[in-house]
Order: sequence, then C-alpha cells, then structure tokens
Amino acid sequence: MLRRYRTVESLKARECARALRIEDPFLASRLTAMGLLPGTLIEMIRRAPFGHTYYIKADGVRLALRKEEAQSILVDA
Amino acid sequence: MTAMQATRTPKIALVGNPNSGKSTLFNLLTGLRQKTGNFPGVTVDIKTGRFRLPDGQEVELTDLPGAYSLYPTSADERIVAAVFSNPSDPHHPDAVVYVADVTHLEKHLLLLTQLLDLRLPILLALNMADAAEAIGLKVNTAKLAEKLGVPVVLISSRTGENLSKLLLEIEKLLQEHRHPSEGFYPLDEQEKNISEAIRLNAGADNPYRALLLAHHHAWLPDLSEQTRQTLSAITSDKQFNSLKHQVDETLERYDRFTPIVQATVQHPPRFPSTTTDRIDAILTHRWFGPVIFGLIMLLIFQAIYDWSSIPMDFIESSFAWLSNTLRALLPEHWATRLLTDGILTGLSGILVFVPQIAILFFLITLLEEVGYMARVVFMFDQSMRRFGMGGRSIVSLISGGACAVPAIMSSRTIGNWKERLITILVTPFITCSARIPVYVILIGLVVPAQKVLGVFSLQGLTFASMYALGVFAALSTGYILKKIMRTRERSYLALELPVYRMPHWRNLWLTVWEKVSAFVFEAGRIILIISIVLWASASFGPGSSMDEAKARARTEAAVRRLSPEETESLIAAYQLEASYAGRIGKAFEPVIRPLGYDWKIGIALFTSFAAREVFAGTLAVLYQLGDAEADITDAAENPTKATLRQRMRDEKFIDTGKPVYTLATALSLLVFYALAMQCASTLAVVRRETGSWKWPLLQFAFMTLLAYAGAWVVYNLFI
Repeated sequence: MLRRYRTVESLKARECARALRIEDPFLASRLTAMGLLPGTLIEMIRRAPFGHTYYIKADGVRLALRKEEAQSILVDA
Repeated sequence: MTAMQATRTPKIALVGNPNSGKSTLFNLLTGLRQKTGNFPGVTVDIKTGRFRLPDGQEVELTDLPGAYSLYPTSADERIVAAVFSNPSDPHHPDAVVYVADVTHLEKHLLLLTQLLDLRLPILLALNMADAAEAIGLKVNTAKLAEKLGVPVVLISSRTGENLSKLLLEIEKLLQEHRHPSEGFYPLDEQEKNISEAIRLNAGADNPYRALLLAHHHAWLPDLSEQTRQTLSAITSDKQFNSLKHQVDETLERYDRFTPIVQATVQHPPRFPSTTTDRIDAILTHRWFGPVIFGLIMLLIFQAIYDWSSIPMDFIESSFAWLSNTLRALLPEHWATRLLTDGILTGLSGILVFVPQIAILFFLITLLEEVGYMARVVFMFDQSMRRFGMGGRSIVSLISGGACAVPAIMSSRTIGNWKERLITILVTPFITCSARIPVYVILIGLVVPAQKVLGVFSLQGLTFASMYALGVFAALSTGYILKKIMRTRERSYLALELPVYRMPHWRNLWLTVWEKVSAFVFEAGRIILIISIVLWASASFGPGSSMDEAKARARTEAAVRRLSPEETESLIAAYQLEASYAGRIGKAFEPVIRPLGYDWKIGIALFTSFAAREVFAGTLAVLYQLGDAEADITDAAENPTKATLRQRMRDEKFIDTGKPVYTLATALSLLVFYALAMQCASTLAVVRRETGSWKWPLLQFAFMTLLAYAGAWVVYNLFI
C-alpha cells in the first residue's frame, strides 16, 4: 500500500504541518502528555549535528525527537 | 479535620511538569531547611523541606519529580503515579500546590486535571509571572479559578512576586480542607465498569484512583500479591487496553481544558522569533554547535583539572601539617598512628574531592539552569545511544577525564535507568587525573625519550594511547552492556528544550551544597572505613612479626652502618613486608606473576586499591626510599626525585635474577592501571548512586578481570 501521509521526519527545515495522529501507542501516550496532539501545529527547525535527531516546535513548544518518534507522528502536509 | 490529623505536621506536595519552575519555588520556600531522600528501590531524589505559614504553623513540603501525566513514561513519573495511586504512601500529601508555567498553560494542565479527579485539596500556582509580563501575556485568574474550581495564584518563583499571597492561600487550603466537588474527566462505559469492580474488590475509595490501579497494577510497588492478582483478573476479564485508554483519556482532557485556557489567557501575537531561537540557531548549529560544546567542555575540564588543584593542594598540605604536628605532640603509639595515618589520611582523601565536586556541579548546574543541557542531549543523543548511553552521558564521560567521582554523581540527571547505569559503569575507564602519576613513572621508566617521525615524542605518544585506551574501553564496554542488559523501560527522547533564561543563583548554591554534603557524609563514610582498613592491614602483622621485622632491620642496619634515616627506611620496608598487606601481596604473587609482577608490585597493587596514586608511595617504602622520594613528577626538573625510577630500574626477581621492570612488565602495569577499578572513592560513589552494593561489586569484578586479561595479553606480546 502506498503511504498516504507524511511524517514529521519528512518535513524540511522551516516547513510547517498539523499533526494528524501518532501511530505508536507508547509514544502517543508520551507525546500527547507533553501536549503534542492531533491538530498541533508542528514546525521543523533543524536536524542534530550528528544523525537523526530533530528539533521541532509544537504549538511554540520546543521539542527534541528521535527518528522513530518523528516517524510516528503523521502530518497533513 | 480530625483531632489526630490536626496534631501532626501537614504535608504538602509540589507537583508540576518539568520546567515549570517547581524546584525554584521549593528552594524559595524552604531554603536550607531541606533534605534529599530516595524513593525506596529507585535512585530518584525526593526533596523534602519545612517552612512556616503566616499563622505560624509549620508544614512539610515535598518536591515530587517533574511529570506530565499520571500515566508514567519515566522513572520520575512513575514515582508521582505511585504516590498518588496509594493514599497510605508516606509521601502522599494532605494538599497539593500545582505549579504551572503560565506562558505555556495550554500544555501544563493535564496532570492538574488528573489530580482534580483524585479529589485532593489543590491550588494552582501560575508560575513565571515575570516572563508573562515581559511578553505581554495576560491571564484572568478569577475566571480560571472559577472554571477549574480551585484557587489560583499568579506568582514568580524567580522574583518572589506574590509569595505571601501564595502562603495565605496554602493556609486557607489546609484550614478549609476543601476537596474539589466535581470530577473533571467522565469515565467511559468500560472504565466505569472496571473502576466499579475494583472499588468493590480491591477497596479503592475513589473512582479515578481505582482506574489508576487498573492501569498500573503490574508495576505499583506497594500492592499485595493478592490485590495484584485481583486487579489483573479484573482487567483481563474486561479486556482492558491500558495504552489506548490512556491516550483517549489524555485527548479528552485536553478537549475539556483547552477552551478554559483559551477563555482565560490572552496570548500575545503568535510565537515571534525569540531570543531563544536566535541563540539556538548558533548553539545547536550543525557545525558551530559541537565546536561550542567542545569549548565549554574544555573550560569545565580545565576547571576541575587545573583550577581545583589549588584548593586540593591546600587541603592535602593542611592535613599533612596537622598529621605531622599531632605525631610530634602525641606519644608514639598505634592509636596515634591510627589517628594520623588512618583517620586523617582518610579524611584528607575525602575532602580532597570537594573542590572538584563543587566546581563541576557549579558549572553543570549553571548549564542546566540556563537551559543548555537539553541542547547537549539534542546534539549527542544518537551518537551516545550507539554505546548504550544518552545525550547527557557525554558530560559525565568528559568530566571523568578529571575525576570519576563527580562525573558519576553528575549522571543523576540521566532519565533512563539503563542509560544511566551504563554511564556509571563505564565512566571509571576514562583516564582520570589520579592515573597520571602512575603513568608518568612507568612511561619514564621504560619508554625511551626519543622522537618518532622527527616531531612526536614517543613518551607523549604512549601517554596519548593510554587516554585512547580508556575511551575505547569505556565505549566498547558500553556497547556490550547495551546488548546484554535487559530493561522493561522503553527508551525514548521526546525532550522539551526550555527557553533560555538567566540562572537562579539560589538553585545553584543549593545544588553544589547538596552534592558536596552527599559525597562527604554518605560516600565519605565508606571511604573512611576502607582507608582505615588499608592502614591497619599495612600497620599490623600476625603475632609478633612486626616486632621481629623491626629487630631484623635494626640488626642489618647496624651491620651495614646505616644512618638513622636509612635505618628508619629499612624498618618501614621490612615492616610493610611483614604486615598483613605484605602477606596479601606475597600470597598474590603466583596470581600476578603471569603479568610480570613480583610481590612488591603485588603489595603496591593492594595498597593502591583505595587510590591509584598510592602506588608510587608504596613502592618507595618497599625500596627503602622513604615517602619523600615517592613523588617523581618530572625527573628532568628534579634529578633527586628520580631516585624511585633509578631504584625500580635496578630491581630484580629474587629467583631468576632478571630485571623486574622490563618493557613488557611496565606496559602490562600501564594497561592494568588503565582498566582496573583501583579507587575506593569511585566504588563508594557508585554504591550511593545505584543504591546497592550489587553494581559497584560487579563493576569492580569485571574491571579487575578485564585489567588482568589485558595486562596478561600485553605482557605476553612484549616479552
């Protein structure tokens, strides 16, 4: 099946999108508790110097996410 | 309130998200009247303190770890969930002061609404009033109080704004003991059924607490086995999907409180590019980020390695002076020597770490306070995870290059237990400053002072490879531990990067004080005991052997017409040989012979167990040089100090007559000291940080085995 949604991981720097849902239930529990919810506006800020760690803003709150965390968040972009 | 409750000190808990400024408020309220305890079974700090309300009543304040939700994803959050799931928990409060960052209120209320459902007397302290004012954010506290059904106070824990109002509200909260009247979240059908069943069968008093038991029964620490089985039967009978219900409940709560926040908080125009963004554009930049981090680490390294040597030398020379003075004043007796050589040496060995600990924690807490540490985690999380550690571990490892003791203590902020434990276990491999004297002697002894490729000093290269060996050992051990250690804790990052702000000096001084006193009073006790035991083993021998050794030395000295000083040195050497420590060293000779060591090195290995730098001192005694010549830092500068090295060069095996310190033996010793856990202080600190003897003993065992194996391989390669 084709992937219909993009994830936070695929956002380019300075690109914004709204979160649709979080696929992994454990990460969903963590991220929703931190205020990253369906409908939250996410802005990709930059990638870490070494490897795949992402600096994003979720409704203005700055968060650092690992690759698998960024991949679990589906966005509408 | 019943009469019985009225007589005891009321307990108040500070609860809130990480970065809510909760701990700053705690420090502001309690000052130095606080102590740090551990939650049973886990090494997460719980601070409690006392303060007085305006009416004179004293209250006990607990600073619970920062948490986002009662559905925990970290050890910190599990403690908060455990405390509120069990009303008879010793930390369970009579009332809650919930601290929320008013500038991010829409993300800070989840946990508050969960506590509302537990019907605890609670008040909402909206923190960071100063920051809100600075960005032009307005909040209608009266309306918020009305909508949430709890008292609301707008405060600033940094400026102390409205603190007296907060105290009055706490007073009122305790007097009225008002429980929130209505719940916040309506349980769905299935949750209602389960909650009802649990209240009937497991005796929970509150519907939401019953639901928490359904979610957490598998790991809650204080449940009886029977209750656990009952809960497990109920949840599996009703096919309760805990994670799905957690997420649905969280979303429902947001749906309910987001409109309340929107109706009461007036935000400034949306997220302008702030100072924090501009700073992060540089500090987390792909190239500048790591370079700046490197410079900051260089500064920290310089501070603990170099600047701390001034107070350290002062402490050591003060103790040496005190010890000499007492020896001159007091009669010659074993009790005098216990005091001067056992206790004072031990105390000096403890206090000598204080400058390093204080400086390191001052700088690390400063970085933590301004918000930089979270950026370090962001930059290095992935690199360190390859070796079983987390982003914060890199700070511990680098600090370990000065001294493992403060470095291991600094691992406490690593949230994931497995990552923290691996950091603690591998940090002692990093070449610390105590290994340097040993390396200097041995390298100077066997590595010729010649140049490689015309520029590099061979001795310098050997030195550098010793550092590389330490780093290699630390990272590869981390990699192996990552593969073999099991954990039920799932690792994640999802870390908030707080807004940069000026440090709060009170927090800084309190942290430094807390770390220093924890080391001196907790780890220090163990170090003192080990130091006394080692002193005793080197000062006493079985039966009359010590007196016989003395008599033998005297006779020999008389025959050889030695001077009084030389006689003293000979006595010291013979007595050390005859002591328990000497016997242990000799008994170990068959074990260490394959590494190329004789019994004298065996004794030095044993006595330097407390601290590596003792190695040279012990050899000096055994080679009858007296303590004075032990300190050979640079033979070229001070030829008289090179005596020990000269003496080592002449040393021969008694049975074979071959020289002891060949290239193979010296390299084998270098490898042994690089890999072995020859440091009682580190063991004591590991014991404190892991909460049991299990890990320090395992660590000691595997490091010693690795050191033995490494030394054996090197000896056989070069012989």
